[in-house]
Amino acid sequence: MRRYQQADSAAAAALVELLSPKLYRFFASQLGSRADAEDMLQDVWLRIHRVRHTYRPGEPLLPWVFAIARCVRVDNYRKRHRISLREMGVDVLPEPPQRKDGTSDLPSFEELVGALPQSQCEVLTMLKVNGLSIEEVARATSSTAGAVKQKAHRA
Amino acid sequence: MTCREMDGVINLRSGSSKLPPEAAEHVAGCECCRRLVRVLERRPEASAPSESRLQQIQAAMLRDLKPVRPLAPSRVYLSAFALIFLVVVAASSLQLGANGWVVLSVSQKVAVFAVLATSAGLLALSMVGQMAPGSKHAISPISFLVGILVLLLLVMAGLFRLHEESEFIPNGLICLKSGLMYSIPGAFLLWLLARRGAILSPKLIGATAGGFAGLIGLTVIEVHCPNLNRYHILVWHGGVILLSALGGFALGAAVAYLGQGRNDRIP
Repeated sequence: MRRYQQADSAAAAALVELLSPKLYRFFASQLGSRADAEDMLQDVWLRIHRVRHTYRPGEPLLPWVFAIARCVRVDNYRKRHRISLREMGVDVLPEPPQRKDGTSDLPSFEELVGALPQSQCEVLTMLKVNGLSIEEVARATSSTAGAVKQKAHRA
Repeated sequence: MTCREMDGVINLRSGSSKLPPEAAEHVAGCECCRRLVRVLERRPEASAPSESRLQQIQAAMLRDLKPVRPLAPSRVYLSAFALIFLVVVAASSLQLGANGWVVLSVSQKVAVFAVLATSAGLLALSMVGQMAPGSKHAISPISFLVGILVLLLLVMAGLFRLHEESEFIPNGLICLKSGLMYSIPGAFLLWLLARRGAILSPKLIGATAGGFAGLIGLTVIEVHCPNLNRYHILVWHGGVILLSALGGFALGAAVAYLGQGRNDRIP
């Protein structure tokens, strides 16, 4: 990250390769659509690029990255909500996705978190999908460890 | 082990790490917890973005890659905010006089200005934390702001008594105007510093900066205003910080709205 701040192009490329799968999973597990998740991935990297100077060397990187990712996700949600208020759907409703494993009666992780409020869904995704610690999630969500534990418990 | 205790184990567990013996025993006997553990172990398929998209992202970043100077350490910004606070209050004392300071008792001086200084310090910390994403927050920024407002009002209500006041509104409006006259330039100076950071939530940082600027205005009129009527202080002096915080929030909302409008227009 330090070398990226010093305009090292190899470091920039390496960061994108390293962090994109984590970020993509963060978006995909809450959105479900591959295209939307990739669009948000592109958005988050543009923002990371614009605010790269705000990362302080020596501080943990993941909370910094996920705080920005969280902001992109919220902005995207609000944009989709604004667009849906302006548009009227005339297409036939899509069929619900088929379960890949027809014999399993367990809900998928996405179905499980999809029913939760946004804040709990976000915390659970960061903890269980992205493998962040409670402390890292607290930093990424501008919250406290106690509040994160409470949300995870409620979820 | 109860299901509630099992929740705690699940929350702290990372990935598919082994369950402690008591938790494993509980899962073996509890259908509900067993299903939950199995769902959480079945994490979403390891999915990755397409190679073409990654290349697009890298190309966009490399197009204008220049060296940047990292954000200065927090203590630099804290010192700068403290300096702004002190300079504006000192300048106002020279201009308006210190009639308020003269009429306060020693205990009132200590209590009022200690609370004001502590509140300003805490809000400055919150602002510095919001400038760098992923910063540690002892308390969430919004709770901080509301808590400080409530604390100030409680302290003021406790320290001062009710007096008869013949021209409550005209006197109050003079104080409100004086306070805002100094909180607005204070807010502008704060914005010059805060914009260097990442403004992830314009409304929140606007409200925090507005609250800090309001504290500047409140301190100015506490030094200047000799009116010790409790209602006068709560309504008009307290009004400075409340209006400043709301003004900051509104400006932040406007910035966010303009940003949204621009993004919505981009195909």
